[in-house]
Amino acid sequence: MTPGTLISLLLLLVPGIAAIFYFNSIRLATVVAASVDEVLSVLLFWIMPPRGFFFVDHTTDIFVFMITSIYLLSSIYSLRYISNKNATGLKQDTYYLLINLFAVSMLFSAQVNNYGLMWVGIEATTISSALLIMTEKTEESLEATWRYIIIVSAGVTFAFISIILIYYSFGTLTVSTIINSGITNTLFVRVAVSIALIGFGTKIGVFPVHTWLPDAHSEAPSPVSAMFSGVLLPTALYVLYRIFEIDPIKSLFIWFGTASIVAASLFLGYQARYKRMFAYSTMENMNLALIGIATMNPIGIAGALYLLISHSFSKAGAFYSSGNILRSTGTKDVGSVKGLSRRMPFTSAALLMSSLGVSGTPPFGTFFGEILILYAMVLVNAVPQFIIVVIFLVFAFVGINLNVSRMIFGPPGEYREPGRLMPAVALVASMVPLAIGAFFMVVNYAIL
Amino acid sequence: MLTLILETATQFLFVLLAAPLFAGIFAKFKAMVESRKGPSIFQPYFDLLKLLKKETLVPQGSSILFRYVPYVAFGVYCLITLIIPVVIPVPIIFTASADFLGGAILFSFAAFLKMAAAMDSGSNLAAMGVSRLASFNFLGEGALITVFIAVSLITATDNPYTTNQYLVSNPSANITLVHVFATLAFFMIFLYETGKIPLESSGMQELGMIDESLNYEYSGRLLAVNKWSSYMKQYLLGSVLLNVFLFPWGLYSTYPYFLLDIPVMIGKWLLLIFIVMIIETTLAKVRLFKILDYLAVAFTFSILFLLLSEVMH
Amino acid sequence: MIYDGIVYLISASILVSAFYIQGQRYIMSMIRGQLVQSILIAAASFLLAYLENSLDLLILGALILILRGILITYMLETRMPRRKSYVFEEGVNVPYLFLVDLVFIVIAVFIIYSIIFSTLVPISQPGNSSTLLFPLLLFFQGIFLITSRRSTYTQIVGYVEEENGLVLLAIFLLPVPIIIEASVFLDVLALVVISSVITVEKSTHERMEELRG
Repeated sequence: MTPGTLISLLLLLVPGIAAIFYFNSIRLATVVAASVDEVLSVLLFWIMPPRGFFFVDHTTDIFVFMITSIYLLSSIYSLRYISNKNATGLKQDTYYLLINLFAVSMLFSAQVNNYGLMWVGIEATTISSALLIMTEKTEESLEATWRYIIIVSAGVTFAFISIILIYYSFGTLTVSTIINSGITNTLFVRVAVSIALIGFGTKIGVFPVHTWLPDAHSEAPSPVSAMFSGVLLPTALYVLYRIFEIDPIKSLFIWFGTASIVAASLFLGYQARYKRMFAYSTMENMNLALIGIATMNPIGIAGALYLLISHSFSKAGAFYSSGNILRSTGTKDVGSVKGLSRRMPFTSAALLMSSLGVSGTPPFGTFFGEILILYAMVLVNAVPQFIIVVIFLVFAFVGINLNVSRMIFGPPGEYREPGRLMPAVALVASMVPLAIGAFFMVVNYAIL
Repeated sequence: MLTLILETATQFLFVLLAAPLFAGIFAKFKAMVESRKGPSIFQPYFDLLKLLKKETLVPQGSSILFRYVPYVAFGVYCLITLIIPVVIPVPIIFTASADFLGGAILFSFAAFLKMAAAMDSGSNLAAMGVSRLASFNFLGEGALITVFIAVSLITATDNPYTTNQYLVSNPSANITLVHVFATLAFFMIFLYETGKIPLESSGMQELGMIDESLNYEYSGRLLAVNKWSSYMKQYLLGSVLLNVFLFPWGLYSTYPYFLLDIPVMIGKWLLLIFIVMIIETTLAKVRLFKILDYLAVAFTFSILFLLLSEVMH
Repeated sequence: MIYDGIVYLISASILVSAFYIQGQRYIMSMIRGQLVQSILIAAASFLLAYLENSLDLLILGALILILRGILITYMLETRMPRRKSYVFEEGVNVPYLFLVDLVFIVIAVFIIYSIIFSTLVPISQPGNSSTLLFPLLLFFQGIFLITSRRSTYTQIVGYVEEENGLVLLAIFLLPVPIIIEASVFLDVLALVVISSVITVEKSTHERMEELRG
């Protein structure tokens, strides 16, 4: 066993080991496991496993890093956010158990070298995360959980047809073999890739099959929403990307992405609840990344990766600060929250930065990602889609920031910061994209 | 030519004269199963004769439609008699006037005429029956036509005689998927169209009646004609079911053997009566609005296997 | 030839079972219908295993029988309320459902089939792609069952039916590696277990003001 394979394996095993502590201090074990995973994922950049059971390249590294980071942040944030008092749907310990399994299933789908097992991993993410949505049991959260289970699993099942077709065309399901095999342009492969777009697109939030997304994001507890939006959707996108690589059908994917961005921006415009608004913003960002990948152009893919990694931190920050606001105000309505800036300065700062981050404001990493993707769109002659996307990105930008500024500014209300840990985590998460942006400017100075 | 004329005459007269007999046999058998003595098997003939002798009353305000439609409908059923293989398995003189689909549409036409005439009577009960019939028939007639199309797809022709001969000469075609399900659907339609028990209990009580209510305002000779055409309709549908779907064998076409067709058809009908009687005596009548479910099932099967037959060939 | 006929017969019975499930109001009949369907699929798998001398298909058939047939039925039945044979779903309009179902299936399946799947050559049965129609029909029938009903149980049965369609497609076209098929089965089982947690809490699903738009 090479060191690389060992690291990949450990990434999967460590959260599993934390799950063993179910009856005894699982909260602490989860945070420790997440930190160890974070370190391992950084090591993975330099020590990569050879192609065997795992298939890890630098693209995978970025996704693994995202997963472990948000896993770490969410488990720290959960220490204060989730307590036995408000976790009425699940026991607190079960919550942490499921968080660990959720992380394992995502890491598994991202690293495994087999389309069939990738599908199994994506299905496992649904299983492990479904009950997390109903941690705080209300009628709405039960309904949201159910919609999540039934819509996503029905959609992902559809993707299994494409797995069968891939196996039929290539006689194997090994990712590395198929990508390098060269025989691609048959009808069945094209059909397989198109079906995968709808199937895995259910999990990514592609337009006609996105309906579970706002419900699940708005009803789940904030750390879970952060994991959903920050890393679960990108993991599904990663699997789709691996299938897309077999036979890139650019125009279909770009058009679907464009339509989804239009839909997301329109829905986003009239949302009265801030967590739902951020959910639609996730949908918009994911589809922009989908377009970036669909250009199949080094610039576009780089842009998609920049966008995804900055977005995952920004969106995590947005959901953490939403969680703080929800804890201290008790309402999800944008209209009922006013003047946060005086009484909750850290949360307000985190919320402002993350909302600027998710909507793609210049110094943040998301902005550079978006610019690269838009540039790649022009490079592949997707000009009409480019125009539509730009218009609706502006629309979404205005929508989000208008709502957030309404919540932050104004006469101060009777609010209080919920402790120190939760605002701190939110602030950290929302500042990382700034660092990514700065990193981008330093590293890619030549491009600019 | 002489043979042809004889065959035509045989078929027409047999259907015309023997149709009430099967209703009588059915009633008698059913009574025997229910441990009753039951009427004579010739009771339908006595009924018809009695009605023909009685006075005919026409409701006030009804138009010419009410008075003449029974005869027109009777004529339509006579025409159907001449174009589908109900006794003789080879084409007879008038066969060329319509095909399978034409036969199905003529059935629908006769049903429509009777409904229009019943509405014309102005009676509330008749109107209720018509509304029931109309809301069921949109599925029933649709299924009937689709079943005929499905069968004609098997032989790629909509000539019922060809279908019959094809099924006789290819026994394995009788157990193909499409054929089995078309038969099932057609049998369901047969039960509905002839008003058998899971769907309609015969008799003049208004709660469950559908087809019977069309005759509500008729009396005397007009009622006799209407009843006679109902018997013919039952015979025609049942014979199509037997000769084209269920049991196509055993019919002769050459002189003088075609006369044997008459006992053969009677034998086949006894088989069908036996099957229907088992259903009638073991099942309870379903509620009125459940009939729509039943017809939807028949319609679904007919459409689905119509499409399957198209895809599989 | 005779085996072809049997395969068609089993496929058609599976389809009939799908329509049976669609037409039921009572939850128990639906669960039993699902059991019959799984047994029929296992039978198809065993038959093809015998024809092809394939060990994979044999194991697959046994897996279907145990995991789909017995375990899932057991899971669903034990989660039912006490008087389970009386639990039914309100507002099921069978004729309407069947008609819409027909339109949906005609559009979805026959177009997909005639464009793509009719050109596939199944490995399991050389030169006979028309059996592939049945898995597709079953698959879309499952999707339609999920979308047309409001009860939690019905939607689970719809999901299982959809998965059954996939298994049948794999059996008829070409069995995917047994390891993957087994993980798929376990996934579905786990999902049914997870969903049955919700059936206890919430048995029907209506529109909600907070989850709009």
